[in-house]
Amino acid sequence: MIRVEGVNKQFSGNSVLHNLEFSVPDGQITALLGANGAGKTTCLRIIAGLLKADSGNVSVGNLDPFKNPKGVRRQLGIVGDREGLYERLTVAEYLSFFASAHGLAGAELERALKLVRNELELSNLWNRRTKGFSQGERMKVSLARALVHSPRHLVLDEPTRGLDVLAARLLRKTLMRLREGGTAILFSSHIMAEVLELSDKVLVMAEGAIVGSGTPDELMRQTGCENLEDSFVNLAYGNVAERSKHGELA
Amino acid sequence: MMISKKRLSQQMRGLLLKELLEVWRDRRALLITLGFTLLFPALMIGSGALSLKVMSETTFNVAIVGAEYAPILEEKLQGGDLKVERLQDGVPQALLASKYDVVLQIEKNFAEDYRSLLSPKVYLYVDSADQSGGRGAQLVQQHLAQLQQLVVQQRLAARGLATQVLAPWQLEVRDVSTPSSRGLAMWGLMVPVLLIMALLVCSAAPSIDTSAGERERMTIEVLLQQPFSGWQLIVAKVVAVTSIGWFGALLSLAVLTVSFSLLPLAEIGVRFTAGISELFTISLILLPLALLIAVLQILLSLRSRSFKDAQIQLSILQALPVTLLVALKLSNIELDSPLWQLTPLIGQQQWLSALMAGESVSALLAVAGSLVTLSLVGLCILVGARALRSESLLGAT
Repeated sequence: MIRVEGVNKQFSGNSVLHNLEFSVPDGQITALLGANGAGKTTCLRIIAGLLKADSGNVSVGNLDPFKNPKGVRRQLGIVGDREGLYERLTVAEYLSFFASAHGLAGAELERALKLVRNELELSNLWNRRTKGFSQGERMKVSLARALVHSPRHLVLDEPTRGLDVLAARLLRKTLMRLREGGTAILFSSHIMAEVLELSDKVLVMAEGAIVGSGTPDELMRQTGCENLEDSFVNLAYGNVAERSKHGELA
Repeated sequence: MMISKKRLSQQMRGLLLKELLEVWRDRRALLITLGFTLLFPALMIGSGALSLKVMSETTFNVAIVGAEYAPILEEKLQGGDLKVERLQDGVPQALLASKYDVVLQIEKNFAEDYRSLLSPKVYLYVDSADQSGGRGAQLVQQHLAQLQQLVVQQRLAARGLATQVLAPWQLEVRDVSTPSSRGLAMWGLMVPVLLIMALLVCSAAPSIDTSAGERERMTIEVLLQQPFSGWQLIVAKVVAVTSIGWFGALLSLAVLTVSFSLLPLAEIGVRFTAGISELFTISLILLPLALLIAVLQILLSLRSRSFKDAQIQLSILQALPVTLLVALKLSNIELDSPLWQLTPLIGQQQWLSALMAGESVSALLAVAGSLVTLSLVGLCILVGARALRSESLLGAT
């Protein structure tokens, strides 16, 4: 389980996260919805131990990312807002490197590589250097990197961006399988149909805080909207409008 | 404990392989390495060969305008290294611009003034910007001075004076230099500076690519998300960058060694004495310095805001060591004291100079100096590992 409790973060005096609080249970898919600049990337970086929260607690599988960053990173698979490919490496070399970073070697490493190659249908890209890959191909390799060490927790920032219909279906299938296996999955998306199909729980984030939480149905009931998109707009932008009205964002 | 050690070695192997593949597949870095290591020594050797050709030139063309007024001078200059040609007339400047190295002009009234002891004037025209002209003029002056000495002696003897009156002492110059020491004077600074330059130039592009480049391409974040320690990341990057910098320096050394064997050094009494063992020692001496240069360049690039910023900062860094070595050479500071020899860069320059000239180097000082350099490398790795924890590295602040 990923747990974020009362987290605050400022950059040069500007508050980015305000008392952020949520949890991502094991064996569930949690969607994080938020406008650009809502603080999703900062939140993700704090979970990975790359940034330190000014206050509050974060735990990944009961480990504190700042006190035990290596322990947390061993349990985490992350796809951030950039694919992070090394363009001079082939897909096989790239994934071998990240698998070995998690201590995989020999037959165990080969097994892990074979699994992601088949699961994400990477065979035709396998021995090609990643330079010149399409956005969808880059995303598939990036996803394979996050999955190759079979992490207990998965954090994905818009994982279907650039994927064609077949690849997006493939990813959804993979996420379902991982959920069955007990993996805690946190993903952000702007595609409401995808959120509806995949997520057990939805978190709506605005101005560095969670402004709505629950199943898609609960959010729609809560806001009195007929669809999730309207609920999200109501919660995220309505919240901003409300705070603007009270002069908090001045 | 065993599992943890095994995991560490697997992690390091993978990390090293990744960094090495990245560095050695960087076409820009390879082009710079090959370009510098092949072209720069070739340029140096080419200009050296040209100087040697001039220095070893043995025959100089001398034109005498008005030789008929002083046949004795023409006679004295004939033979040896001077090829004398008698000309009826001619403008000295034009003659120098053609095939002559030196032009001697004798005036019409030479014989009359000579007989009257009036010291007739003889003009020696030379183009001092032309190296062969300078050496030719020196030879002509030497020959004429000998003749002048002879004439003075004869005149004194004719007047009953002892010739020793004009020579209260005799000065004889004895050159005690050896071919090796002349070699040391020739490339004592030049070759070490070239090798250090090779380390700096060849490791600059991969240093920037592996730090500022990773930062700009945002791959550094993915790397930092993996369960590596900061020191592991820096060590792998330093090893990869060092491999290409050290390779560049060794390639330069090989090109220089081959080129020296093609130069006619013996003709000017200079010997290149570095053998296989000296070259092997030079390679080993360069390794700690290659590591230090790599880690310093990575640290500097890591704190740069962009690829371009890193390029500017490294170009300044590259000029510093060479400027320092040349300044120390010009300041005539005695650099062979143990304190200087333990100083990174200066110590290495001293040992490289000595080894290139076939001289011995104190093994104790070389080992101690290398350990000082390696300690500094260790310190820089710790600083780099700390820098990787900086939030500004992610452009987050």
